[in-house]
Amino acid sequence: MLFSEVYGSYYNVIAAILTQAVADELTDGRINNIVREAAFGESVLTIPAALRSEAWPLLTPQNATPLAHAPTMPLTLLQKRWLKTLLLDPRIRLFDPPDAGLGDVEPLYAPDDFCYFDRCLDGDPYEDPQYIAHFKTILTALREKRRLRVRFVGRLGTRHSWACIPYKLEYSSKDDKFRVLTSLPRSTMTVNVARIKSCELLDFRTEESYRPLPPVRDTLVLELTDERNALERVMLHFSHLEKQTVRLDERHYRLTLRYDREDETELLIRVLSFGPVLRVVSPDSFAEKVKERLDKQKNLRA
Amino acid sequence: MAYSELIKNFERVRDYMRQFYVYGFKSREEYDAKSARSYDNERRRIESWLGDYMSFRQDASGKNVFLSVDSRAIPGNPLYSAFKAKSFTAGDVAFHFYVLDLLADGAELTVHEIVDAITDRYLSAFRTELTADDSTVRKKLREYEALGLLASRKRGRELVYRRTDDGRIDPEAWRDAVAFFSEEDPMGVVGSFLLDKLPPGPAYFGFKHHYILRALDSEVLCGILQAMDENRRLALTIRSPRRRGAETAHTVFPVKIYVSTQSGRQYLLGYHDRFRKFMFFRLDSIHRVVPGPPEPDPEALRERYAQFRRHLWGVSAGAGHGLEHIEMTVRIAGGEEYVLKRLEREKRCGRVDLPDARTGVFTADVYDAAELLPWLRTFIGRIERLECSNPAVTERFDADLRAMNAMYGGDMDAVQ
Repeated sequence: MLFSEVYGSYYNVIAAILTQAVADELTDGRINNIVREAAFGESVLTIPAALRSEAWPLLTPQNATPLAHAPTMPLTLLQKRWLKTLLLDPRIRLFDPPDAGLGDVEPLYAPDDFCYFDRCLDGDPYEDPQYIAHFKTILTALREKRRLRVRFVGRLGTRHSWACIPYKLEYSSKDDKFRVLTSLPRSTMTVNVARIKSCELLDFRTEESYRPLPPVRDTLVLELTDERNALERVMLHFSHLEKQTVRLDERHYRLTLRYDREDETELLIRVLSFGPVLRVVSPDSFAEKVKERLDKQKNLRA
Repeated sequence: MAYSELIKNFERVRDYMRQFYVYGFKSREEYDAKSARSYDNERRRIESWLGDYMSFRQDASGKNVFLSVDSRAIPGNPLYSAFKAKSFTAGDVAFHFYVLDLLADGAELTVHEIVDAITDRYLSAFRTELTADDSTVRKKLREYEALGLLASRKRGRELVYRRTDDGRIDPEAWRDAVAFFSEEDPMGVVGSFLLDKLPPGPAYFGFKHHYILRALDSEVLCGILQAMDENRRLALTIRSPRRRGAETAHTVFPVKIYVSTQSGRQYLLGYHDRFRKFMFFRLDSIHRVVPGPPEPDPEALRERYAQFRRHLWGVSAGAGHGLEHIEMTVRIAGGEEYVLKRLEREKRCGRVDLPDARTGVFTADVYDAAELLPWLRTFIGRIERLECSNPAVTERFDADLRAMNAMYGGDMDAVQ
């Protein structure tokens, strides 16, 4: 059963409050702080009151509890089955968690119960020992806040060697690839993990040296004509981006998207894929690129 | 009934969250709510769960509430919050902590011993009308046994219950894997439950092309996966927005979950009991799944699927008139070799031939060639030839191209 109160925010927060009560460290102020930090926005109106009024008989007016132990909960069968499922995923080798305690647990599902039908076919080599070693080195650098020396071959075949600070491992389900986002003294650099030839840990980074630049973001304004179920298709397709939608009339909508500048070419072909139901309103430079593609196409099949 | 930020049933709020997230331009009056108060309550709950992720805009049609998230920049899927808002009774929460506390030191106790201890050790400390009786406590123990929190065994003529803690499973050692898969796995909400029990975790995983909306289908997906595991048929209740929310019922043998990495849509592919064919159902339109009897010959259907899948481009089996042949020739300029690589990596069930260094020929035989149109359009500017055994497909492509040329100020008759 997935939708159960045992996984709920309230139970977690009450457990945190009772942990302090068992340790005899609980105050009214701490109850409010725990609720504000860990529960939902309006929980502060309900949880403290229900505990103080003994409607939930767990805490006495003196902030004590008859519980003898700090609350803990065993893993549920669903949680164990999910962990067992992860052990069947080829990407688990990048993390190598121990399989102890899961021997007699049935997985929740088999990997081939799923088909990612539009995923690119050249995903990362998750079973290649060198790839796994590079991934683990990057993970260690992230965990221990260390600098890295990365040697890799760029898209144009040029060899690079960077001493950098890794700050994020980014995965794309569409590309089935990991990229490591790194910070250099004056710039940032994204490297496909599969392109890395060697990777070694350097010294611990200082907070002063760690200044990842925020990605440069642009705004794209599109006009959508709702035919052939375009409204839903477009909205879902771009739903992972920050967006705003305004209805212009019964069939037309204006969509404002924020995107990373480095993804502009990808965004261009995604806009093209919708054909005439999407029109680029601004910026002009983006609309011009669409026009260039259309002009090139005219010359090819005219 | 007084407002609560917790909910008993997930289905209604699932619809609202989806509409706030996907559309975000509707005003209060446009929601298909039973009443305005119903809308206000659901909106208030979602705001309470999601906090800063909710935004508002005022225009002529009124106040619009929407949910806008750059999923590349967030630490975790905020929609999982909805699964952590299940309502409960005072007895539920009290017995939860009492029972787990009673058994925390490894004790094995009978129902009677548990009832007595709840009364003497816990309830006696409070001014409460709550009482413990055999029937209520036994029900809770059975529920927790089904969840896997407790296990039971016979001692003499009575059942004794114990906790199922297993020190061999070290959540710390799983932390990175759980942090990654809680976002990436289709049932990642379970990982999110695990992370809730740990101190704040690593923030060094990021996700591109990350469609968080699928989280809302997790409960339906869980029911389907269970039926697949047990080789059972499934009774589906479908509510399609295109049919104005009218419900239809279908019985299928679930074969596969199809996931789009480019829209986040998830589909159940099942063999339809009545229509005797494979059919796709969008998970977000499935409102109820009820497991049915075991399928007598699941292997035979899986073998049929192995044949069927060979000509699927996406999630359309076409009109059942056989296969459609499609060919596209792409011509590239110098320095555009990555376009030919794109053909290779995105060809799915198609084939790519490279007659020379500047030319790529893609061919495919599929049930529904119209499904390729969005992908074909991504090669606009490089398509030298496009042919299809279904002329409606090339006609649509050319008509769309004419419309686009007109839209961007070009010559409407340029491409014929």
